[in-house]
Amino acid sequence: MSKFTKEMVDSYADKLLIGLTEEENKLVLNEFDIIDQNMELITKIPNISNVPPMTHTLDDFTYELRNDECTPSISIEDALANSDSTEGRQIKVPNVVEVTKQ
Amino acid sequence: MMDKSIKELHELLINKKVTSDELVKEALQKSHEVEDKYNAFVTILDDAKGTMVTDNLLSGIPYGIKDNYSTKGILTTGSSNTLKDYIPFFTATAVENLEKCGAVPVNKTALDEFGMGGTGTTCHTGDVLNPWNKKRMCGGSSAGSACAVASGVYPYALGSDTGDSIRKPAAYCGIVGYKPTYGLISRYGLFPFASSLDHCGVLTRCVEDAAIVVDAMKGKDAKDLTSFDSSNMHLYNSLNGNVKGKKLFYIKEIVDSSNYANIDPLLKEHLDNYFKTLDNLKVLGVSIEEVSIDKTLLQAIPSVYVCLSCAEATSNMSNLTGIIFGPRGNGNNVMEMIKDHRTKGFSPLIKRRFVIGSYILQKENQEKYFVNAQRVRRLIVDKMKELFAKYDGLILPVGTGPAPYIDGSVNHISNNDTSIIEEHLQIGNFGGFPSITIPNGFINDLPVGINITGNCYDDENILNIAYALEGTMNYKGQVAKENNNE
Amino acid sequence: MSKYKAVIGLEMHCELKSNAKVFSPAKNGYSEIPNSNISEIDMAFPGILPTINKESVRSAIMASLVLNCQVPEYLYFDRKNYYYPDLPKGYQITQMHDPIGTNGKILIDMDNYTKEVLIHDIHLEEDSASLDHYIDASLIDYNRAGVPLLELVTEPCFNNASEAVTFLEYMRLVYKYLGISDADTKMGQVRCDVNVSIMEENAKELGTKVEIKNVNSFQNVKDAINYEIKRQTELKDLGRYEEVEQETRRFDEESGTTIRMRSKVDAIDYKYFVEPNIPKYKISEEWINEIKQNIPILPRDRKQKYLDTYNLSEYDANIIVKNKEYADYFEECLNLGMDAKISANYLIVNIIAYLNKYNMELKDFYLQPKYLKQIIDELSKGNISSKQAKEIFTKSLEEHKEPKEFLKDNNQISDIDELTNIIDTILSNNVEQITLYKNGRTNIFDYFVGQVMKETRGKANPTLVKEILTDKLNKAE
Repeated sequence: MSKFTKEMVDSYADKLLIGLTEEENKLVLNEFDIIDQNMELITKIPNISNVPPMTHTLDDFTYELRNDECTPSISIEDALANSDSTEGRQIKVPNVVEVTKQ
Repeated sequence: MMDKSIKELHELLINKKVTSDELVKEALQKSHEVEDKYNAFVTILDDAKGTMVTDNLLSGIPYGIKDNYSTKGILTTGSSNTLKDYIPFFTATAVENLEKCGAVPVNKTALDEFGMGGTGTTCHTGDVLNPWNKKRMCGGSSAGSACAVASGVYPYALGSDTGDSIRKPAAYCGIVGYKPTYGLISRYGLFPFASSLDHCGVLTRCVEDAAIVVDAMKGKDAKDLTSFDSSNMHLYNSLNGNVKGKKLFYIKEIVDSSNYANIDPLLKEHLDNYFKTLDNLKVLGVSIEEVSIDKTLLQAIPSVYVCLSCAEATSNMSNLTGIIFGPRGNGNNVMEMIKDHRTKGFSPLIKRRFVIGSYILQKENQEKYFVNAQRVRRLIVDKMKELFAKYDGLILPVGTGPAPYIDGSVNHISNNDTSIIEEHLQIGNFGGFPSITIPNGFINDLPVGINITGNCYDDENILNIAYALEGTMNYKGQVAKENNNE
Repeated sequence: MSKYKAVIGLEMHCELKSNAKVFSPAKNGYSEIPNSNISEIDMAFPGILPTINKESVRSAIMASLVLNCQVPEYLYFDRKNYYYPDLPKGYQITQMHDPIGTNGKILIDMDNYTKEVLIHDIHLEEDSASLDHYIDASLIDYNRAGVPLLELVTEPCFNNASEAVTFLEYMRLVYKYLGISDADTKMGQVRCDVNVSIMEENAKELGTKVEIKNVNSFQNVKDAINYEIKRQTELKDLGRYEEVEQETRRFDEESGTTIRMRSKVDAIDYKYFVEPNIPKYKISEEWINEIKQNIPILPRDRKQKYLDTYNLSEYDANIIVKNKEYADYFEECLNLGMDAKISANYLIVNIIAYLNKYNMELKDFYLQPKYLKQIIDELSKGNISSKQAKEIFTKSLEEHKEPKEFLKDNNQISDIDELTNIIDTILSNNVEQITLYKNGRTNIFDYFVGQVMKETRGKANPTLVKEILTDKLNKAE
């Protein structure tokens, strides 16, 4: 018996705003237990709670912060060129106030 | 002509035996042939023109760019439908650096969608076929780059490497794949997959070319905080082939046949071939020792990789909404539109990785999977650094043998006993270690590779060892010869 | 008054001042023209990476120090992941694991007590894009995307709306004193989240916490808190306290009420993780010390100085410190050695009134301290009368001419020898009047004063004239 269900898989995808077809859901669900088991291999390593998580690739890396100088804005043409929906100087989306009110 | 090395082409250009325009023309013509046969490209830049030939070794010479490097005014898709029409207005720093040398891009190469695959079969333009045998995959994700370089379209193409995306396709295509130390090449303009594992790099047909190209690509970039100053590192100039007294190690738990019950004869041959090559190094005065590493730690490598790469990827690709770029989705409100864009735009295989990433980053799982994976990553890296203090590098065979068949490849996550040998190159990404694959002969008429990985910032040393080893074999500069007789 | 104790916590978001944005080099500045201060980084085009503005970090560290917070050894950032059209990357770069300041405290003055406010943390993050809403569409303006934002999170340590608002106002003032933010609420540069719960006076456990998001003025913070206390109290009184849910609400300005947005069950899982593209940055002791040395005296400390050293009234001191421009003006007066009380009085009575009348800012006011000094010094020496001083003040402002120009015309004769000579002459010409004065006609004194004034065309220092006259007349035979 799998510890995962179709609904769980759908909800993981939905949190990333991704929809799955029946087939895609099945594909994932079929191997989710293997994936989960593999992941368990990580938890099998003993005494790791005191190991600092490696969040960056190079430790002891030094660098300078950026000076507070601004560069010219990108052109409005460049900014909007790849959007399918614009109005004037702006990108247009359906009114989002309604979305918030849901 | 395009099967020659960078140095050879440069000589011809300088001595006016050929013009840059002629080289570009030939590369474009080859591109179309290779596209027809192996489906390696997203875009072929038919308008490309030759450039002025200067003292720079790369001037006037054509090359290919993996389609996850942002190129101004040139379609850049990441081989994803989410960006199928995206034309950037800025160029990746690494590409800009090559531009300054006078290098001429002639095509954008196909990849597994956003680099998230190891087969070359999840590109929105279709499967990339192996130029040695069309039933085989090129490996991924730098499939198109590996295919094109192996086919002799040009001497080099850019790749990116998050798990083994340069070094494995290089092995499967019988060429050189080099991923330098993390931060040696700026990632600005490279479409991210997993930022803490992503590396820029190159695929070539010889070690010298890899050194020449990375010399040109590298450098501290104010736009990438993780890049560092390497002005005192001269990769090409430090190749001297003198490796006497160098010390390498291999990991017993990966290459000893006794680890594999009922070992596949092909894997056995692959391992025997690998050990035979080690003898070449010994002749050059390199000592090679066997090292044993806790198998539990090694077995965790693929899982650590899956955890970290999938988790980071979910976040890195959250900008793909179809609002600012990419095709706008349908829907009654903006959230529905974003969901529609993502649902239609991503391929099933990438969605699977997203689902895993989402699961891992859930509040209740984060500590157990994600943070623990980061801890195990440190343990693995610390272990390697401890070994690199004693040895110049780690030498291992790439994968379990030659390129697998495309049919039946599921690009999936398995848990059999070959998973470590299949995935060990990920160690190089965990530690940001310089790592290079070079061809190591043939099994069943298909190329296989051998990999050398060393400590951070020790790129010169690693390349030099690879250079020396390359010199003991006959695969330097080889171009794929198609054989479909199986 | 409620019979329950209210427990209130605040989150205060404030935009920081700088030339460039925090994670991109685009300009940090308001513009009427949408998408005129943007970079590819702000819009999250594929392949972008963040860099960090040193000035924003400096500002954040300064605020952290002022709040007596602990500054971490290393600076790094986290990603807060969620989808919304105003967040181009799909994550906000913020600080969750190791904020720039933790465990701080600061004192604020209430009307008749001093309150210690506990700071949970203060962290640096980026602002989102702004959305312009129209009937059938929303348009996105990325000018604000990537603007540095400082988020201050207090412990739930306030017991009423007044404490909360006093704190917010004080912090706003502190940021202005530090010069790290204009903290302009009208420009939306300050936004607050408020959490409110109520509990029995002696209860040990906190009540159910309700969060009110995105309150955009201090008046609204006050109204939201008071409404929420009232709402929760009523439900508790009715025995329906279970209806108070741990939830997120918003403040509706029109109705003056709070409206439910989502319950805790629907709370977003932000999937925080460390931003891998920003390596850990060592915050050196030297840098912290350098920043410390640049922290100006804060309003509360300035006020104390004005009370203790300069004997200003509490009322006057409050007026001066509540506006950084006023306080800086006054500081300069003190630095120029001007009389503190007279300067304060001039600032409060004359200057502020003038500014209010003409709706003007102090920085544009003509009589800067060095000019005002010309009047105040004469006045404090008694060389001019306060009426004269006021006249010069007005003339100087009207004609934009230095006060000393008018002081010349008004030049009093205060030279004792000169006055004595004049008086001697007048007395020797009026022997009869002296006799009359001696015989009791004391009003003759004014006659003499008048004669001196006539002789000097009104320029004689009246005080001195009276002194010399009295002396002379007393001595006269």
